[in-house]
Amino acid sequence: MAFLEWRKFQFFDLRQNIEGSEKLLELSKEINITCTSAGNNYLVFGDSLGQIHLISRSWHINTFRGYEICIEHSFQLRSSPFLITIGHDEPGINPLIKVWDISKFDRNGIPFCQRITKAVAGSYPVQVSCLAVCDNQQLMAVGFLDGSLILYRGDITREKSSKQKTFKDVKTEITGLAFKLTANRIFLFVSTYKEVFVYNITQKDKEQKYQLDNIGCSRKCSVLAESTQESHFMVARNNAIYCYTPDGRGPCYAVDGEKILLEWFRTYLIIISKSNRSSSLPKNIINNVTTPQSTNQVLITVLDIYNKFIVYQYVMPNIRAVLYEWGSFFILGQDYRIYSLEEKDLQSKLSLLFKKNLYDVAIRIAKSQQYHLDGLVDIFKQYGDHLREKGDHAGAIEQYTKTIGKLEPSYVIRKFVDSQHLEKLIIYLQALHKQGQATEDHTTLLLNCYTKLNNTVDHTASLREFILSKESDLNYDVDIAIKVCRQGNLAEALKLAEKHEKHDWYIKIQIEDHQNYVQVLDYISSLKFEEADHYMKKYGQILIEHLPFESIQLLKRLCTNFKPNNSNNASDNIISAHYDIEMKSDPEDFIHLFLNNSSGLVEFLEHLITAGCFLSSSVYNTLLEQYLHVWVGTEASGEKQKIAHRILELLQNPDIKLNKSHALVVCDMHSFSEGILYLYEEQKLYQQILRYHISRNDPHSVLACCTRFGHQDPTLWVQALWSCVRDNKELSIDLLKQILTVIAKEKLFSPQLVIDAVSTGNAEITLGHIRSYIMNELQQEMKKSEEIAQLTGNYKKDTEKLKNHIEQLKNGVTHIQGSRCAACHHHLELPAIHFLCNHSFHQHCFQTCSDDESECPTCQPENKDLIELLKAREYNKDLHETFHFQLDKAHDGFSVAAEYFARGLFNNYRILR
Amino acid sequence: MSYAYLFKYIIIGDTGVGKSCLLLQFTDKRFQPVHDLTIGVEFGARMITIDSKQIKLQIWDTAGQEAFRSITRSYYRGAAGALLVYDITRRETFNHLTTWLDDARQHSNSNMVIMLIGNKSDLESRREVKKEEGEAFAREHGLVFMETSAKTAANVEEAFINTAKEIYEKIQEGVFDINNEANGIKIGPQHSPTNPSLPGAASSGGSQMSNCC
Repeated sequence: MAFLEWRKFQFFDLRQNIEGSEKLLELSKEINITCTSAGNNYLVFGDSLGQIHLISRSWHINTFRGYEICIEHSFQLRSSPFLITIGHDEPGINPLIKVWDISKFDRNGIPFCQRITKAVAGSYPVQVSCLAVCDNQQLMAVGFLDGSLILYRGDITREKSSKQKTFKDVKTEITGLAFKLTANRIFLFVSTYKEVFVYNITQKDKEQKYQLDNIGCSRKCSVLAESTQESHFMVARNNAIYCYTPDGRGPCYAVDGEKILLEWFRTYLIIISKSNRSSSLPKNIINNVTTPQSTNQVLITVLDIYNKFIVYQYVMPNIRAVLYEWGSFFILGQDYRIYSLEEKDLQSKLSLLFKKNLYDVAIRIAKSQQYHLDGLVDIFKQYGDHLREKGDHAGAIEQYTKTIGKLEPSYVIRKFVDSQHLEKLIIYLQALHKQGQATEDHTTLLLNCYTKLNNTVDHTASLREFILSKESDLNYDVDIAIKVCRQGNLAEALKLAEKHEKHDWYIKIQIEDHQNYVQVLDYISSLKFEEADHYMKKYGQILIEHLPFESIQLLKRLCTNFKPNNSNNASDNIISAHYDIEMKSDPEDFIHLFLNNSSGLVEFLEHLITAGCFLSSSVYNTLLEQYLHVWVGTEASGEKQKIAHRILELLQNPDIKLNKSHALVVCDMHSFSEGILYLYEEQKLYQQILRYHISRNDPHSVLACCTRFGHQDPTLWVQALWSCVRDNKELSIDLLKQILTVIAKEKLFSPQLVIDAVSTGNAEITLGHIRSYIMNELQQEMKKSEEIAQLTGNYKKDTEKLKNHIEQLKNGVTHIQGSRCAACHHHLELPAIHFLCNHSFHQHCFQTCSDDESECPTCQPENKDLIELLKAREYNKDLHETFHFQLDKAHDGFSVAAEYFARGLFNNYRILR
Repeated sequence: MSYAYLFKYIIIGDTGVGKSCLLLQFTDKRFQPVHDLTIGVEFGARMITIDSKQIKLQIWDTAGQEAFRSITRSYYRGAAGALLVYDITRRETFNHLTTWLDDARQHSNSNMVIMLIGNKSDLESRREVKKEEGEAFAREHGLVFMETSAKTAANVEEAFINTAKEIYEKIQEGVFDINNEANGIKIGPQHSPTNPSLPGAASSGGSQMSNCC
């Protein structure tokens, strides 16, 4: 039977003998309840005498008279204090709708009646069969026995603002009404005995009717099931509960039995149906209550619509009503006893399920009730434990997987860490990695599991899969993984390293474990520049040792124009342009790699030079050193010559920024004379060259050197002389002569010093060797002194003359004989002005051409010059710095000093007027 | 969510062929290996786009067991499309197809598009019904055929969408009377304001329907 397909649980407790409810029992002795409703903290009963009973939570009953004759329908709004009732005040007329405000009572304890409206369906009075009020207090619908339907719009508490519209679309009794408000539409579901339909009543006077089904239901057997997801209008028929949406049919729940009442409570559908199979039903818990009235017994079924279980089923005597208020669910029995149906709390529900090992159901329920995560994890764990005990390891792992992030992984790992369950463990660990919860230890364990399985069964594939899986799928510490793999699965470790670009690991493994140097070189050359550079520096030494040629090739590329090997040319053009600018390694960094491989280094560096790279001086230094190293090591003279040539070329190359002093030291160390000399020359260290030649005792070279560089540094000659005479036992006379000649000619050295030098030296030099020189010198000296003596005489004469002149001017008579004017050259006429300088002027001429009366205009410029000269001298003599400077600069210091004396350094000039 | 058309589908076939799983895969894109028996009719909905039109599919997933046959029969009417499902690993579910088809043809409107579906195509190793047999049956009875797997989601989407396309074509050809809701097709609310006469017509059509039944 279909009914038995539903899973059944007892998640509710039926309570009887509710404290205080016995008052109701007493009340019921006198009355006959005709309608019930609940909401806004009250249970509302209407009776056949027209009385309304309001029952508060403490079971206090407040009774008042609502109608004179009887009350047929009542509707208490859920969250507002309005009670709508329909009943009769007089016989044979239209029923009256009354709206009560049960928050306001008058002196007699009767609530305030807001509105009284006649429910007029047609020309003659018709009984009301159904009442529905929308929670927004704006809509009310009344269904009649004859199929008429009145829709009231506007505030339900005010008759004036209320507009009514009557529909007469069907001929059979209206059995159910329900309003449904969506975001922008309003529907009114209607059920009759013969059909189900819906009105779209969003717009006033544009109501549209849609038929939903052509089977109907009886009274009280329809309900609007409102939930967060989708609201359904549920209609109970004998074979099933059918659900309708405004669009048409929805789902259908097969529940057998003749339905009496349908009610919706939270997420539960309460079905009251006639019981005809009492024997098959669960035993009544409250045995003393049940009276064996099998004919009148009903079956209460509570259906959890979302989880699709029957959560409560119970058989009891016929009931009158089902009400829910105050968070509980009440059943009013035929005998007016109140039963309350209370839902068990989640914990007890769960423990009930755990007892039956229905963990999957527990999980479903816990999830649907928004059970907290920790609790859920606990269920998963228990479920996992249970499955494991049953031997369903795969299922257990699946449950344990759901606990990841909350449950300590070691709990699970410990249970599965024996060889039989490695595969399960792997699944768990993989999940752990996927969720990023894995620690290093877990990675290690997982890889070890792979390795272990690898040994027994062919599980390399899974390991490979793990390794090659995308990083986003599995989060693990790659370093650890490589380390672990390296111990067992070198190939995998390599793959892993390659995939995750752990170049260091890759190269290390290749070198240390595989000795596969070619592969390493290939790998490095496929890397990006920076990386290639880095790893070449790191591993270059080993590589060069094993694969000198290939390594050097790679190094060359690195230092000149490196491009990753595998990159596509087309796509990388832009990048390569970028490389050209800056992607060149500094060869200096690689030099140390060429340990004990001079020729390799030489080749490498030469290549770089020919390629025109910019190299630092230290690189050249190294190259030079290496050249010299090779040069020294080479035996064959021809070869040696070649190398020497190359060294010189290197030294002479103007582009090369060689550290010259360093080069010199190196050349010297290897006694590479050509180099040394070249360097000296370049550095203008002629003295050094000379000294070198002298030390080599090579008079010709000395001479050549002197003549070559003598004009640049005359002291060379002196040097040569000194060295000649000092040390050389076997003095070259020719050389000496040459030297002396030059010295004499250039006056480089005073003869006295020459003689001094010659005499102090160790060389055996006879007077004869230097005689001609001395003679020459002496003659020249004599000539000079004669010239000077003559000059002195001249000066003396001049001085005497001047002195006489002065004396005359002072004491003698001056004849002024000028007959012509010095200005206009005409004959002098009085008045005239005469000067002692024998110049005479007309007075008017003098006045025109003279600025100063006391001076002769003709002599004035000359005098002025002289005075200025004297003043300048006066001024100059205080400039000590100038003096010193001149003294330093002068060839002959004495003459400078003499000149200063001559200017009257120590006596003041007086300018005579 | 406004739509241009609403198509109603029904999924039928023997118990355990994977009807509910097909629906779950289509609406929720997930697969539940353990599924309780469907008791009555379950219901799902999803929006799809055909010819750049939003189409809402409402799908009734029926119980396969004989006991529920009377309930499920009432759902044939008002369905524009049906997915007739069998299990390729169980020969008897294929053998029952004729019964199902007769049932469907008898209770549905004549234009209903029926798609034959051989489900569980992922279980190739346990296959009992050849693909060719399914094709032949479909050809013979004028159905569209497809093998699907609710587990791997293979062809699931296509099965529902192709059916919708077929229905859509029939609408374009004028085969379906879209104003008669008993055909399982409803015009979306967005169309109503542009053509105010249409809803009125639909409403009157509905009431006529109720009268004649």
